[in-house]
Amino acid sequence: MHASSIYRTPALTWLALTGLTLLSVELGAWLPAADWLPLLVALIVWCKGMLVARGFLEGHRAHPFVRHLLAGFIAFAPAALVFTAFFGERLAR
Amino acid sequence: MSGMAGVGTVGAMPGGQTGEGAAARIPGNKGIWVGIACEFVEFLVMFVIYFVARAHYPEAFRHGAGHLSGAAGTAITLLMVGSGFLIACSVAAMRAGRRRASLRWLLAGFVLSLGYPLVKLLEVQWNLAHGIDGEAGIFFTVYYYLTFNHLVHACWGILGMGWVLARHLCGGYTPEDHSGLEALACYWHATDIVWLIIFPLFYILV
Repeated sequence: MHASSIYRTPALTWLALTGLTLLSVELGAWLPAADWLPLLVALIVWCKGMLVARGFLEGHRAHPFVRHLLAGFIAFAPAALVFTAFFGERLAR
Repeated sequence: MSGMAGVGTVGAMPGGQTGEGAAARIPGNKGIWVGIACEFVEFLVMFVIYFVARAHYPEAFRHGAGHLSGAAGTAITLLMVGSGFLIACSVAAMRAGRRRASLRWLLAGFVLSLGYPLVKLLEVQWNLAHGIDGEAGIFFTVYYYLTFNHLVHACWGILGMGWVLARHLCGGYTPEDHSGLEALACYWHATDIVWLIIFPLFYILV
């Protein structure tokens, strides 16, 4: 197998992760008070988590326990972030 | 993302085997996934604490992120993602039978990962110089608990990387049997996922 083909998946994953990291930094700097920022951040966090799970860990090819463990953990924080952003006051009562 | 799934890094069978056998495979070994599951449960508890605190003290969390060093948070993120990439390449190279290349990728990943505790040390010094200690408010208390806990997990990963590197140097892994290298990669990627969640919670959201 050619060297470039064996490193293609990790390289693309790394590029996407780096791009999303820099994008989220810019969003935080330029749109600090936007109401929908938590939604966008939650989406970026989920995308980055899934990128690592698929591109580096290949969780989608793994045993169902591994697959579900990764999917559940990665989904928790973005879901909680959206929930807190829109229902935080009710939760705090 | 699904388009990137074609070439193996951690989870595929040696020799490119696919199908039902590969789908049921546990990357690395069972032991490391018990450890990763425990790590995830531990951080889930801490995330619950974070979100409960955020719901009760929205103002503290809205203003807190602006006081932290965004450069340090971004640097740690890039170090984690970069070292994860290098370790994934090490596994991919080993699977392709390129042992020396695998060793070089792993060494590079190890060196890059050492930047994390170094940046964290500088960040803590910067924090203390700006009056941000564990008693500076609820946001900073939660920040120290979560980020120090992650640092501890990363240090375990770095120590593990040193051990795997030593075994690799001694010829302990082959393209047919490199589950130890894969297990290390799994742990590091899992720790990377945890940081990718922590990063925006403290450094981006204001």
